Amino acid sequence: MQGKGLLAGMRITLNRLFGKKITVHYPEEKIPMSPRFRGGELDLAHNKCIACGLCAMACPNQVIELTTRTDEHKKRHLTSYIYHSGRCLYCNYCIEVCPTDAICWDKNYENSRYFRHQLDVDCLAISRGKSPNAVVGTNPDDTDKEEGTT
Amino acid sequence: MQEVTGLFMVATMLRNILGKYLPNPQWVDIVITLINIGAIFTVISLSAVILVYAERKVSAYMQMRIGPNRVGPWGILQTVADMIKLMSKEDIMPVGADRWLWILAPVLLFIPSAAVYVVFPFDNQAIFADLNIGIFYFIAVSSQATLPFLMAGWASNSKYALIGGMRTVAQMLSYEIPLVFSILGVVMIVGSMRMSDIVAAQQQVWFIVVQPLAFIIFLIAATAETNRAPFDLVESESELVAGPFTEYSGMRWALFFLAEYANLFAASAIAVTLFLGGWNGPWLPGWLWFLLKTALMIFVFMWLRWTFPRPRVDQLMAFGWKILLPLSLVNVVLTGIGIYTVKYFS
Repeated sequence: MQGKGLLAGMRITLNRLFGKKITVHYPEEKIPMSPRFRGGELDLAHNKCIACGLCAMACPNQVIELTTRTDEHKKRHLTSYIYHSGRCLYCNYCIEVCPTDAICWDKNYENSRYFRHQLDVDCLAISRGKSPNAVVGTNPDDTDKEEGTT
Repeated sequence: MQEVTGLFMVATMLRNILGKYLPNPQWVDIVITLINIGAIFTVISLSAVILVYAERKVSAYMQMRIGPNRVGPWGILQTVADMIKLMSKEDIMPVGADRWLWILAPVLLFIPSAAVYVVFPFDNQAIFADLNIGIFYFIAVSSQATLPFLMAGWASNSKYALIGGMRTVAQMLSYEIPLVFSILGVVMIVGSMRMSDIVAAQQQVWFIVVQPLAFIIFLIAATAETNRAPFDLVESESELVAGPFTEYSGMRWALFFLAEYANLFAASAIAVTLFLGGWNGPWLPGWLWFLLKTALMIFVFMWLRWTFPRPRVDQLMAFGWKILLPLSLVNVVLTGIGIYTVKYFS
């Protein structure tokens, strides 16, 4: 019969009309990002970082800007770690090259900002703001040391 | 047959009240006419607002989404917010546009869409003008909508708009003819073009039962006439550059869509009048039956829109001329034979 497919199509849309809706109510509900999703800002674990600077060297766009300080035992410590996310290609080179897995993506996809300077992130400050899991071998004047674990 | 019903009683009451305060009957007539015009425009603009919301909800539900749900409870104020946005948008006129044609096109498009509301039988005797050529008036006035599309396309000084306008005219002319021939079957059976006669003739049996082929042809042709999917080659924005209203913005653009939704309501109301028994129905008042059936028809049009993919323009034309037109002619012939058979045996 001619037009059978039309009726089949109409039946499908009518079923969908009364069927379950799969919408995620975005600002209230959020989908967890997949493990391989690259996005957001670099999540630095400052207690893991050995301040080798490989991440900054691996970056093709000079996105990572870090400064270090050497202590009396000739051990390097991180003094600042700025991530310019506005220039980032999300190529993952910095994360791949890190010998201690100190950085990873924070998987945040709400990246819009009103001003360009807000795209420059001080990862070290953010990392210190969070309570660290382990505080072995970090900056001696690190005040987080006494706060314990979460 | 002509018993007094709800809406007619309201009109009579209003007339009596006005008669007490106004000096003579002519004044009452003028005021009543103004109220009628206001009522038509209220119905059109209100239905446009509701239909835009309904369309978005129906499309969302058919695509397993939820649709507008932010502005107001269940998103019902979304259309109002959209309207305010459209009104505040900048009105841009293209350089080198044919000024007067360009300005007139959306207005002229809206006028026939509004004018056809005159002959809709909303209830028993609740009809603005019960012309004895009601259905003919509907066809004649609604087919005027073709010209403004060509005007808009021509006046925009844009090749895309011009081609879009010509495509629109080709489509609307091609589908006007099967539309008229499908209506003809009903007119032959009733023997009158008066809307109230057509509805009264359906008190026993609706014409969708007697004329199923005509109803399907009418449904398809009306979909094409109202520029709705699957025949929405007129207004597809990203794929065909929005056709004749490419260059329009803000409220002028909104007028095109107001006319579109007025046409959708009109097509549904005519389908109800011709095939679904108009105001006839048990228990409920007539105008409510009319509105319910019209809402059902609108839903069917939306259902079609969100189900079927768009045909190519050559397929569209071929379908109109090679399938719909012969089918509608066959329907007229069959109706004629049927009428003579019934007469012969009775």
